[in-house]
Amino acid sequence: MALRQVAIYGKGGIGKSTTTQNLTAGLSELGKKIMVVGCDPKADSTRLLLNGLAQKTVLDTLREEGDDIELTDIMKIGFNGIRCVESGGPEPGVGCAGRGIITSITMLENLGAYTDDLDYVFYDVLGDVVCGGFAMPIREGKAKEIYIVASGEMMALYAANNICKGIKKYALKGGVRLGGIICNSRNVDREIELLRAFAKELGSQLIYFVPRNNVVQRAEIRKKTVIDYDPKNSQAGEYRNLARAIEENQMFVIPKPMTQERLEEILVEYGLMDELKDNYQI
Amino acid sequence: MSTINLNEASVEIRERRLGSVTGFCGSAKELVDCSCGGLKDMKRGFSQCLGCNSGQAFCQLSMIRDAAVVNHAPVGCAGDFFGFNFTYRVEQTHRGLPEAYGRYFCTCIEEHDTIFGAVQKLENTVRRAYERVHPKAIFVTTSCASGIIGEDIESVLDALSEELGVPVVSAPCEGFRSRVWTTGFDAAYHAILRKIVKPPRKKTNKVNIVNFWGSHIFDELLGALGYEAQYIVPLSTIEELEHISEAAATIHVCPSLSTYIAAGLEQLYGVPELKVPPAYGLRGTDRWVRGLGKLLDREKEVEEYIKSEHSRVEPVIEEYRKKFDGLTAFVTAGAAHGQAIVALLSELGLKVKTAAIYHHDPIYDNGDPKSDLLAQDVELYGDVPTYHVCNKQSFELVNQLRRAKPDLMVARHGGMTIWGAKLGIPTMLVGDEQFGFGYQGIINYARRIEDTLDAIEFVTNLSKHSSNPYTDWWLKQEPGHFMEGGRKNA
Repeated sequence: MALRQVAIYGKGGIGKSTTTQNLTAGLSELGKKIMVVGCDPKADSTRLLLNGLAQKTVLDTLREEGDDIELTDIMKIGFNGIRCVESGGPEPGVGCAGRGIITSITMLENLGAYTDDLDYVFYDVLGDVVCGGFAMPIREGKAKEIYIVASGEMMALYAANNICKGIKKYALKGGVRLGGIICNSRNVDREIELLRAFAKELGSQLIYFVPRNNVVQRAEIRKKTVIDYDPKNSQAGEYRNLARAIEENQMFVIPKPMTQERLEEILVEYGLMDELKDNYQI
Repeated sequence: MSTINLNEASVEIRERRLGSVTGFCGSAKELVDCSCGGLKDMKRGFSQCLGCNSGQAFCQLSMIRDAAVVNHAPVGCAGDFFGFNFTYRVEQTHRGLPEAYGRYFCTCIEEHDTIFGAVQKLENTVRRAYERVHPKAIFVTTSCASGIIGEDIESVLDALSEELGVPVVSAPCEGFRSRVWTTGFDAAYHAILRKIVKPPRKKTNKVNIVNFWGSHIFDELLGALGYEAQYIVPLSTIEELEHISEAAATIHVCPSLSTYIAAGLEQLYGVPELKVPPAYGLRGTDRWVRGLGKLLDREKEVEEYIKSEHSRVEPVIEEYRKKFDGLTAFVTAGAAHGQAIVALLSELGLKVKTAAIYHHDPIYDNGDPKSDLLAQDVELYGDVPTYHVCNKQSFELVNQLRRAKPDLMVARHGGMTIWGAKLGIPTMLVGDEQFGFGYQGIINYARRIEDTLDAIEFVTNLSKHSSNPYTDWWLKQEPGHFMEGGRKNA
């Protein structure tokens, strides 16, 4: 089967890295060969797969050792043989992290990281697609499918809709498609209905609803995915189901991002705006 | 009138400050008429290479004799260093100065630096520049690369100024900031006004002449009036620049160059600016000299000077007028100097049919419409029927040149004259804008024109062996074919 290159986007703090790592752990149990590329200067996209932040980033290596580097310098093998790479980036407030992602993905290609035996490459991209660099994984024929992690919270949906505008731009030029919305539940009211309606409005699907469970937090503190930390836990089952849904997904669309007005209508329809008004506190 | 705001590190670009444009198709009179608020820039659907304002900033800063310049940029941006060093060395001889090399450094921003930031390289380069040449000040010109990654240059340079004990001053001149390359001059002057010029200790009898370079042509006139000419910014020293606020007046050779520094010195330190257009052509020079006399309180003396100069030059000019009568000319140059050449040629009896001028400032920083040299040209010498703002686009220029079929082409910048020569048109390059200044300038020009017309055989032969790179299709289009929007489409 051909290599599937997948990019995971979503609002900052929504749980992209946690979801990506648990999802890839689930896929690895299906016998898939996977590479995860963290595209966030914080370099914390592979911590749970590697049981810690031992990873040296592509850009750190490039900075310290020059251009003459080996793939083994920057790629570490994590849980169940998953290959882990962190792009890295400059210290906060300096330089250009977007340019860093462009450089490190190009470097990975030059070093031959995309081997034929891979089934999946996952790009875990920093919160908002703030500039061209953060769109690198979906440009130039790299990631062909995108999943957006969202929740029923308003700002997560605003962000998801905004990301769809970026996807649409690149989809019209190239082959990138939206594979669906993954809900990382925050336990807000009528969350699943809201997410279904939101995904439908985009012309896409709610591919999986991951319920909230404190075991995720416990596993993270121990630097593990849930599948690694407590394989029999029901949440591990949820992530395995998510993995299967991704593996079997057939629905890839050019999203139809909605206007701000329409997005707010959907929110009102599901009672969220009223709730917010009643309970609005700072 | 623009407000000079020294709190901002970056100068406001000309498009916003002055409403300057880089595209216009029409006549000189039309351009003057719509410069009073009706002028909008045109966009080109096709363009050849353009000037970069970083070069203009470097031009003014790179010949300050005891300063160093650090270009915070990829090394390609330093590709023009040699040209400025060449000019610097040539011009030292015109001023009788000792031989010296330019002190230019580049931080060589590379790909890694665009990711991780390059301020460390900047610090190292500034320190190295200081150790090597012990300058009295260091100017840091920026680049597109440093601008895009948002380098915190100001705080680094402030700390370095303190550490090294000399001003280390930024001149933000990222290429993408402005479509008008002359914004780079303003960037250099903004840097000088911000961090070099000191408040006046006393008033002096010096007169600031803001020019590029060239010989001391103002010494005699100003000396006779009891004043001393002080040529700035190239070939001056940091100490001289510190005290330009003490001068009695500021004079332009080319207001396209110096509009910002003159307005800055007047607004900040009360140094009056001579707002009359610079002295090109007999009648233009009369006005300028009278304006100068008024400004320096020497009205009687200048009348005598005008009288004696007229009796000296008029008979000579009259002879040349007879010789040149009925000939047509094509002018290509920067804005104010192009307008100056129009005056000079018209004074000598040539008819300027076409001008391809690089940009246009509808007003200068002093906000005074009387400073408009193009308006004065139209008033004193009549309209230029085809006056295009061409932003140095060779394809437009060649198209116009073939239509105009002039008897003479005059260019201010190297690289432009070749087009005239290839078409068999006698063409002259006058790089020094002081060459045509004042009464003597008219005669200087006349002699050069005479020589150029005499050498027609050379260009005739050259044209027989020259090829034309443009297609027939293009040469049949209107020169403004690719221009859109703005006031008027040709």
